[in-house]
Amino acid sequence: MDVNAMSEKNREGKRTARERMLEQRAVEEATSRRRKKLIVGGAVLAVIVAAVATGVVVQNQRSKPETPTAAPAGTIGDKNLVVPVGASNAPSVLTVYEDPRCPACGIFEREFSATIDQLEDAGKIYTNAHVVSFIDRSLQGKGSKNGANALGCAQDAGHFRDFHDVLYRNQPDETNDAFGNKAVLLNLAKQVNGLDTPEFRACVNDNKYGGWVSAVQQDFDRSSYKSTPTVLLNGKPIYPKNGDEDITPANLVKWVDAANQGKPLGTAGSNGQTPAPTAAASEANNPSPAAG
Amino acid sequence: MAGAAVQPRDSAPARRPLPAWSEWAGTAVRLGLAVVWGWAGLAKIADPAEAAQAVRAYEILPEGLVKPIGYGLPFLELAFALLLVIGLGVRLVAGASALLLLTFVAGIASAWARGISIDCGCFGGGGHVDASQTEYLQEVLRDTGFLLLAGWLLWRPRTRLSADGWLAS
Repeated sequence: MDVNAMSEKNREGKRTARERMLEQRAVEEATSRRRKKLIVGGAVLAVIVAAVATGVVVQNQRSKPETPTAAPAGTIGDKNLVVPVGASNAPSVLTVYEDPRCPACGIFEREFSATIDQLEDAGKIYTNAHVVSFIDRSLQGKGSKNGANALGCAQDAGHFRDFHDVLYRNQPDETNDAFGNKAVLLNLAKQVNGLDTPEFRACVNDNKYGGWVSAVQQDFDRSSYKSTPTVLLNGKPIYPKNGDEDITPANLVKWVDAANQGKPLGTAGSNGQTPAPTAAASEANNPSPAAG
Repeated sequence: MAGAAVQPRDSAPARRPLPAWSEWAGTAVRLGLAVVWGWAGLAKIADPAEAAQAVRAYEILPEGLVKPIGYGLPFLELAFALLLVIGLGVRLVAGASALLLLTFVAGIASAWARGISIDCGCFGGGGHVDASQTEYLQEVLRDTGFLLLAGWLLWRPRTRLSADGWLAS
């Protein structure tokens, strides 16, 4: 009886001790699991925060400034992003946003460049050209950027319009990144008298105006215009339509003449140099013979 | 007696053992999602201006947030990729991945609904495109597929060859 009671008590004591131990172990394990979870969660958060912070800083440093450090000679605007073509005292201004790789720009140029060149040479308009370069983003490649840089180099050399016309007449299919190849651009430059100089070649090969090209594109990014070509006559969009009227070479001349009514024309004279093959007929109408 | 008392302790953590194939499948899902994030992140890094424009084109965020998001997002995606590759905090990362993917789907759907023509910029590129070149349905379906991967990992975060598994053992 006594012995029985003793052993019973002893067993009870043993069990509660074991139970307490087990309970304590369970609590410890739960705490340890929670601590591990917290550490893992903290590590995950730390990795994410560090990565994002590093990314913002690094990309901020890598991004090209919106105000370029170097711009081609004669560019205008508060950041020198615009290439002016024609006599600055002409009464109307044509603003054109074009990407060297954009097929719609190629179609526009092949139909309108002769007319636009004539209007410029007659002192009726001057053109503010924005050489944008966003096709590379969606189609991959470097044709837009290299082409735009080469146009900047041509502007430096005083041959922007001629080289611009040559590029669009020789534009590859949108998906063919031929302009990404600098040799192709340099080869096309041979069609412009006096452009194929060591200086021009170095400018193209060194991507001298890459920062300017990026700044021009960033300016377009921030603008309200979403596609190319964007064409404005005295600030008013005229492509593909001006009000109800479709843009055609004849309509463009008509609109310009209407806008210029009663205003003195600007200085007439050739702003190009080499007559373009397909524009030969219209170039022949130049009031002054092609210079150079 | 002792054996009987010990038994409940061993099964106390009461984790239903998953079949091995499930944990291996989880590893494949985890690495698959890591590849998606890694690819998406890397494709957005080369040109910061392009990444910013991809964000701007959605016309949702104020201009002041366009660059921080455009610059930071690819690195967030890379961080997800890294964490998924090593398998650290898988459930947490899967949850965050699902949230980010839902945000993307919402953004694409919003652009679609508002009739603006953009490329989602999911894997680089982005910005305005011709109306005929939009691919909203494909983009939403693709993100939904990725969402399923994240959902799997939320449901079964325990996978083979993971830091989580190594820490728990």
